[in-house]
Formats: sequence, structure tokens, C-alpha cells
Amino acid sequence: MAKKQAAEAIDKGRSPGDPVSGYRALPGVADEMLDPQGNVRPVWQRLLAALGRMDETELANRFARADRYLRDAGVFYRAYGKGDTERSWPLSHIPVLIDETEWAAVSAGLIQRAELLEQVVADIYGENRLVREGLLPPALVASNPQFLRPLVGVKPADGHFLHFCTFEIGRGPDGNWWVLSDRTEAPSGAGFALENRVATTRAFSNLYAETHVHRLASFFGAFRDTLQAQKLHPDDRIAVLSPGIANETYFEHAYIARYLGFMLLEGEDLTVVGGRVMVRTVAGLKPIGVLWRRLDASFADPLELDQSSHIGTPGLVEALRAGSVSIVNAIGSGILETRAFLAFMPTLCRHLLGEEQKLPSIATWWCGQEPERQHVASNIEGMVIGPAYSTRPFFDDNGQSMLGAALRETTRTSAAEWLAAGGGKLVGQEVVTLSTTPAWVRGRLTPRPMSLRVFAARTRDGWQIMPGGFARIGSGDDVAAIAMQAGGTAADVWIVSDKPVERTTLFPAEESFTRNLPGSLPSRAADNLFWLGRYIERAEGALRILRAWHARFAEAADPNMPLLKDVSNYLSALDISARQPVPASLLANIDSALFSAGNIRDRFSPDGWLALNDLSKTARRFHATVQAGDDATHAMTILLRKLAGFAGLVHENMYRFTGWRFLSVGRYLERGLHMTRLLGHMSGPEAPDGAYDMLLEIGDSVMTHRRRYNVNTAALTVTDLLALDPLNPRSVLFQLNEIKTEVELLPNAFVNGQMSPFYRETMRLHSGLAVMTPEAMNAAVYKRLEQDLERLSDLLAQTYLG
Amino acid sequence: MLYDINLKITYGYEVPVSGGRHLVRVLPASIPGRQRLIAGSVTVQPAPGERSESVDFFANATTSILFRSVHEHLVIRMQARVQAEATALTADFSPPLTGLPSQLAACWSIDADSPHHFIGPSPLLPEAAEIAAYACEIAGENMTVCQIGAAICGRIHRDFAYDAEATTVTTTPAEAFKLKRGVCQDFTHVMIVALRSLGIPAGYVSGFLRTLPPPGKERLEGADAMHAWVRFWCGTTGGWMELDPTNNIPAGTDHIVVGHGRDYGDVAPVIGVLKSYGTHTTEQAVDVIPVE
Repeated sequence: MAKKQAAEAIDKGRSPGDPVSGYRALPGVADEMLDPQGNVRPVWQRLLAALGRMDETELANRFARADRYLRDAGVFYRAYGKGDTERSWPLSHIPVLIDETEWAAVSAGLIQRAELLEQVVADIYGENRLVREGLLPPALVASNPQFLRPLVGVKPADGHFLHFCTFEIGRGPDGNWWVLSDRTEAPSGAGFALENRVATTRAFSNLYAETHVHRLASFFGAFRDTLQAQKLHPDDRIAVLSPGIANETYFEHAYIARYLGFMLLEGEDLTVVGGRVMVRTVAGLKPIGVLWRRLDASFADPLELDQSSHIGTPGLVEALRAGSVSIVNAIGSGILETRAFLAFMPTLCRHLLGEEQKLPSIATWWCGQEPERQHVASNIEGMVIGPAYSTRPFFDDNGQSMLGAALRETTRTSAAEWLAAGGGKLVGQEVVTLSTTPAWVRGRLTPRPMSLRVFAARTRDGWQIMPGGFARIGSGDDVAAIAMQAGGTAADVWIVSDKPVERTTLFPAEESFTRNLPGSLPSRAADNLFWLGRYIERAEGALRILRAWHARFAEAADPNMPLLKDVSNYLSALDISARQPVPASLLANIDSALFSAGNIRDRFSPDGWLALNDLSKTARRFHATVQAGDDATHAMTILLRKLAGFAGLVHENMYRFTGWRFLSVGRYLERGLHMTRLLGHMSGPEAPDGAYDMLLEIGDSVMTHRRRYNVNTAALTVTDLLALDPLNPRSVLFQLNEIKTEVELLPNAFVNGQMSPFYRETMRLHSGLAVMTPEAMNAAVYKRLEQDLERLSDLLAQTYLG
Repeated sequence: MLYDINLKITYGYEVPVSGGRHLVRVLPASIPGRQRLIAGSVTVQPAPGERSESVDFFANATTSILFRSVHEHLVIRMQARVQAEATALTADFSPPLTGLPSQLAACWSIDADSPHHFIGPSPLLPEAAEIAAYACEIAGENMTVCQIGAAICGRIHRDFAYDAEATTVTTTPAEAFKLKRGVCQDFTHVMIVALRSLGIPAGYVSGFLRTLPPPGKERLEGADAMHAWVRFWCGTTGGWMELDPTNNIPAGTDHIVVGHGRDYGDVAPVIGVLKSYGTHTTEQAVDVIPVE
């Protein structure tokens, strides 16, 4: 296949060794690789020479290496609609190269812009001179859904509204850069830019090393240090506030939190006490000093902002008023994203900064003003018309904007009338033609339209622009297709110097390390870990019983033999249907484990996540295909092996700290419950023929039993081994032993030297069982033990997870 | 008129709730030329773990309370003495509808009282085509803004039945419009949406009504709980005018203002967020007694 494509490419003019031949800029469109005369720009020459030396297979291998990296690292974004699925990150493997001199000019323009935006938002929520002096129409503030009235008059704790902004910029046909939109609300993409970089350097490692590409780490380091410095108290914590796993860019929230060493929190992790924002942890409430907000502002506080929000923190706005917490960016900053604001930027810049904009915004006219509206009407052919209060750029707003030319065909009234009716709700924007950059399409470099997302961070030395970012690349010639949701791709951006660049990492030099213990575990994370443990173990318990059942079902002459009936009754009490080889409730169980794990994705390795996903997929496939009997027995064995794979990854790789303990306690507790219930049902004197052997098989203790007891299986030996043997990792007593060990090490196991109620109950259950004899165990004892274990779970939740 | 006002709001929780945070907006306002709060207090039972007072964007007095312990009831009491000073407008200084946009455009302000806050859709009041058509039909070509307001107020009063069972606190204006039934909140919301559809800035007023009418007059609807009516902007000279569509009268000295907002959400007497596993009941008792 690859060969055939290569042949086609040659037919179309590509000769090996010259990747540029056949590449032509589109007429009237600027190109990143070719200058206006059609010559390759100097910064691209090294990359092109390297591409020329690679044959089709080598390139394919290199691209595959980058893709594999992204897959293994678990980079995904969520595509809304169409089943709401996680998509792998669509990398366009050819980076965009920009000369550092040109980049310096872009940076200067964006720094000026960040400065300007700060002053505008400070005025809107402060003195309000811009409206009073006639520089900003009052309707654009007062009718703006992004204007959050409860924040009026609230000064940010550290004095600044904006700390982290992104800009979407594009290059016009004349070669100059334009700002297409400002992102100030909760800008995303910085983490993806980092992953783009890592993936692209996997594809072009030697080339990257010899091209002088500016590194990204120092940008993040400077921002992290700035946030550290923003804390008002040394004990305050810094956290990334995420809307949760359902968000489009949740991966990035987790990634950034892990990369910078901040906590990853959601609204319900937080509570406001005495005007301070606190995180609920297993060791009690801990103060938060800085929140890097990735949550839309209106959802942040259901009491004072959007009352329908379920992902906010009641009282957060009150804490802001008290000045006890710094939020990045300040709540309310999203108003700066309003599309109609672009129309006023040139004037505001002149007025507030006393200078012209170094980097102009795309020409915009607000139709709430008569002369502007007339201008749009009479130039309608060259305009894009869209909603004035939209916070999305015109090429990325789900089709809310339309070309003036198309408008003429869809409405019967004249454009002027239509614009007059829409009035202040509309803006006209000049149609821009974006530049193209080479993408690798069907074996050759092909020009594709692109825009750049650039990141700006406020540091102690002022605004810094990330030397790089990512390029959004359209899937066709149409600028509207740039948005990732519409099939576009993303490429790394290399800012190239002609001399060697400084190399930094986020890690301090080796000789000066201190060993940081993980911070207090948020209660919600503990809850998810605990339940992940329980669900995984519950799935294992069900799989073991089902496997034993189907093995006997396959051999049984009589499908109604008492043992099979008895066990299937037992299972149906647990909502598991034995006749259904991979029962729906088992799938639900695995999904619950996956959901719990997804909520704490920043806490375990991508390998573990992949293993769990694999388990879920396989179980789903088996559910559709597997037959009862031998086939099912075999399927259960495969599923058990996959489950053990996940457990092994977690066991081998997870750091032994508080989070691990909650996961473990969940597993031990569930295993204890499973065995207690099973023994209560099957170890009594009325147990059907074969029950003891089946118990041993489910408890994975057949060999041990054979070694330890020189008798046939009997009620007493089975009870001894599965309930009371402290050395058998499947016995009930073993679980209690382990729980006791972990619980001793949890925070607040002792309060003022006294056992906490939870610890005391653990001790009571453990010692109660430890002194039992096999003869004394009966159905009533098991029943009581089962209830005690359930209560222990409730007590743990009350103590740590509330 | 001098009034003594008593309000008692009681929440009963089926399952006791632990913790909870509330914002309370029940204290009458002091508005120059309209009314004066002489004395007033808000008390809460059980005693909250935290309590603070503030004034929100629209200048409404707001009490914030936080509970840390388990409780089965929440009782909020407000007592106030208010001097009502408003006199109903007699002259119409408002422009015709076509003259309003230029007066609006000349108002370069986003202070709390600026009409600009009250033009666009607000969180509880999206645009509604049916209500816009209704308003369009009522508004005659040569009417002033003030006359249009009065006409819409009268039509709503005529077309709608007062019915406490028909709607709930979350009923949308479009739903209430379809039913042609509801309580003061619904009447007020429908009238606001109607006025805004014509480009007339309109907002929500929460407050109290005198409990017993002066001798010889009928008892007004809505006097047994907190009341709501409409405030709309009649241009630079005309200023704000208050009409009560539930009773089809101007809001005068029998109407005591608690708060201003774009819709009910801005001035709801109690907004609460709590973790609860059961339902709750609410009761409101109001007395507005003239002091002789």
C-alpha cells in the first residue's frame, strides 16, 4: 500500500530527495514555508533537507512513533456529540517553523495586548471610566452574559485579573499577523502544546536536537514560580480547578496539575469556611491559596453565579470578596472574549496605553452603532456576520456565523434591514484568508490553512509568551474547518534561532533536591480510589464464581443438579445471572471501576488506565459472543488474567502513600465481604454435594488445602482455610489483618492518643475473628460479620470521605 | 404612610440537613423619594455558624448565612418599620417608543440603576416569540412608553387568572403565558418579557403589599406573602415607573420595595445550597400593618 502511494506521489511530481517540488502556495495566500517569491524560508531548509533524506517507510515509521507516544501517554480530548467519545489527539506531524526574530515581534504585540486586556477588565469591574467616557458601549457590558455582577467592585487578591491568556492568531495575505480572538476565561491547550512537542520530537529527534528550537519548559517554570509567589500564606495549597472528567480537555487539566505539581480538584472538593477556600482532604480541611481555574466562571459558585451549577463551590465569590484566594484568571475575565470587543481594541489601546496596537485584531464592526452597521451593510460581500456576544472565534462557533455573501441568498429582506433588526446582537468581521503551512497528506507536503494558538503567562518579570504553541491546521482549503471538532489537526510550532538555545527543565539541579511527600489526599480522590478497589475486587469475585459455575455446567449431565441451582440462586441475589455467560451486571461493575479510575486519572499510570480499558472492551466483546459452559469458563479465565494485569500494574507501580491505602482497604474489604457471604451460604451442613470443593476453587485454595490438610474437603477444613487462616491471602481474617495494617497508617487513626471510632471498629472486628475456631463459625456468625464489614465501610466513608 | 412589617419564612426538612449556605434578601430598601427604612432586622434560627451582611450589585441588602450543624428547620424572620413616601406619577414625561433608543444610547452608564441592565434577556427571562407578538399587538403606533406599559399591565391583568396552584417558582414566562395563569411572579415575568421585546428596559421588584386595604377598598392579591411587580424605564426624563400587573395599579405607598433585579433570580428572598436527601416544605407569613 505504502509503495503504491509513493508511486502516485512521484507521478504527481515529487521526486525522492526533493519534498518541495510540487508544493505551491495557493494564489493570494501567504505560506509559512515559502516566501512571497516562492523560495523556501531559511528556517525550513534544515527540516526539508532531512525530509528529503527519508524514504516513505522511514517517514511512516517516524510518524507512527509520534502517534504511539500520544497513545501510550493517554493524550485525548473529548469530542462532544456523536456518542461523546474520547478521541486520540490528531497530530499533524510536520511542525510549523518560525524565525525567532519574527516571533519576537509577535511576542511584543501579544504582551502589549495582555497589558491592554488587563486594564480593560480592571476598569469594567472597577471604576467604569471606559463606559462613562464613551469608549465602550454600555450595552456590551450590561447585556453581556459574561459580565458577572457579583464581582463588580471585587479586587483580585494579588491585584491582577489576568495571569494566563491565549491568543488565536493568523497571518494574512500581506504576510502580517492578526489576532483572531482572545481567550481569557479558562484558556486550554498549554498541556496539549507540551505533548505535541514531545510527540513531534519523537518523530524528528535528531533533527530537533540539531535545529536550535526554543524550549518550552522555562515558560512553565516561570509561571509555576509566579503562582507559588502569589500565595498569601506559606501553608496554602495551589490547585487546578477542573469541571471534571466530562470536560473536553480534562486530560489537560490532569496533565498540567501533574506536570506542575499542583492538586487537581473539582468544585465539590472545596468548601468555604470563614471566608477561606478549603479543600476537603482525608486529613481534614486544608487552605487553598491559588486556584488555576479551568472551569467556566458562571459555574464556579451556585449561590451567587449560575444557580443551576452542580460543579461549583457555594461561597467562592464570598471568599473572593474577602480577598483570601487568588483565582487564575479572575472570575469575570471571560467578558474580554466577547467578539464585539475586538471592534473597540484599537481605540482602547490608544486611550489606555497611549500607543497603537502592535498586532492588530481582525477588523470588526459592532452593529449596535449606526455608522458601523451601514459600513457592514455596504461591504457585506467581504464580511463574516456573527453574534456580537459570542466568545468563540468565527471559524469555531458551530456555524453561528455566516459569510455576508451567503446571507444574501438566505434572507429575502435586504442586508441593511436584516442588520438593523439584529442591531447590537451582531458583528461584522472582515473575511480573512489565513496562511497555509505544509501538512503531510497522501505522501506529500500539501498546503493547508492554519492559525496559531499562543500562550501568555504573567510572571514576576512581566508577561512572557511561550516560545511555541500549537498550530491548528484545517483538513481542507476551507478556513472554517480548522476547529479540531471539525476534523482539523494540530501541529507543534518551532521557534528557531540561528544560535544554540538555553535548555532548561522544570526540575531543580540534582545536588539540591528535597524529597517532597505527597500532599493531603482530597476526600473525593480517596473516595474514588476506595471504590475503584471495591469494584475491581467485586468483579473478580463474580468472575471466580462464574468460572467455577460454568466449568461444572459444562460437565454436568443434569443442568438442574443441586449445586448449580444453589450457586445460581446465590448469584441472582447479587443481581448476577449465571446463565448469561458475561452478565450485564458484571459489565456495569467494570464500568463503575473505569468511572472511578477516570476521576483520578492524574493518580495512576497510563499503563494502568489502558489495562482497565482493555478489560472493559474485552468483557463487552465476550458479552456479545460467549456461550455458556466451556466457552464461558475460558472467557472468565481471560478476563481474570486481564484483571490481574491491572491489579499487578497498580500494585507494582503505585506510590505507597495515602491514596494507595484507600485503594487497598477497598479491595480487602470487598474481598472479605465476598468470602464471608460465600462461606455463609455454602459452608453449612446442608450444603449441596461438591460445594466445599467449589468454595476452594473460587477461593483459589485447592492446592493449599491439599498440602495443609491430609483429609478430604470437609466443612471444618474449608472454614479454617478460607475464614480463619491468617496466611491465606483469600481468607477473611487475612483481609482484616491487612485492613488493620493500612488503617493504622491513615491520618487521624489516633486522636489525642485515643483510637478513632473507625480504627477501634477495625480492631474489634479483627480481634473478634482472630479468636474464633472453625467449629464456632456458622451462618449467623457470617451474617453478623457481613453486616459488620458493611458498617466498617460506612464508618470509613464518614471518617474520611465526607 | 408608616408601616410595621413582619415576615416569617419557615423551611421544614423531611430529612435533617447538615450544613448549608444561604443568601437572604428580605429587608426593605431605603430609596430617596420612594421609601425610608427606619429600623429593620433579620434573625435566623437555628443560629448560623457564620453570618455576614453585604449589599449586592443592585443595591439590595443581602444576608449570607452558613450552617455547620444538623438542623430540621430553618426560620428566617424580618421585622421592619418603613416610611412609604411614593406618590403615583401623574404626568407622562416618556417619549414615544421610537424615541426611546436614542435616549438609551445617550445613557453612558452601567451603574446599578442604568436601563442597560434591563434590556437584554436575563437568566430566567429568555426571549419568547409569543409574548413578543402579544406585546406588539398591544403597543399602538402613537403611544408613549408609559402608555404602552400601562396597556400591557392592563391586558395581562385582564387575560390572566390569579391561580396559586397553576405554577411554581420555576415556571418560565412562556409557560405561564400559555396557561394565562399564575401568581405575582408570573404576571411580573410575562410583563417584563413583553416590555423588553419592544425595547423597553424592564426589571423585577420584590417587596410587600399592605395586608388590609384602607377602608372602602378591596383587599389586594398577593398580600399574604412577598409580592412582586414591574419597574420599567420611561426615558431620560420619565425615569423608572412601577406597575403592579397582578392588581393592575401603579405601585404606590401600599407597595414597599425590598429589592430590584433583572428577574426573580436576582432578588429571590432565599437562595440556598445544601446537601439534602429528602424534600422540604416552605411557609411564608407576612403582616404589613399601618402604624396609626
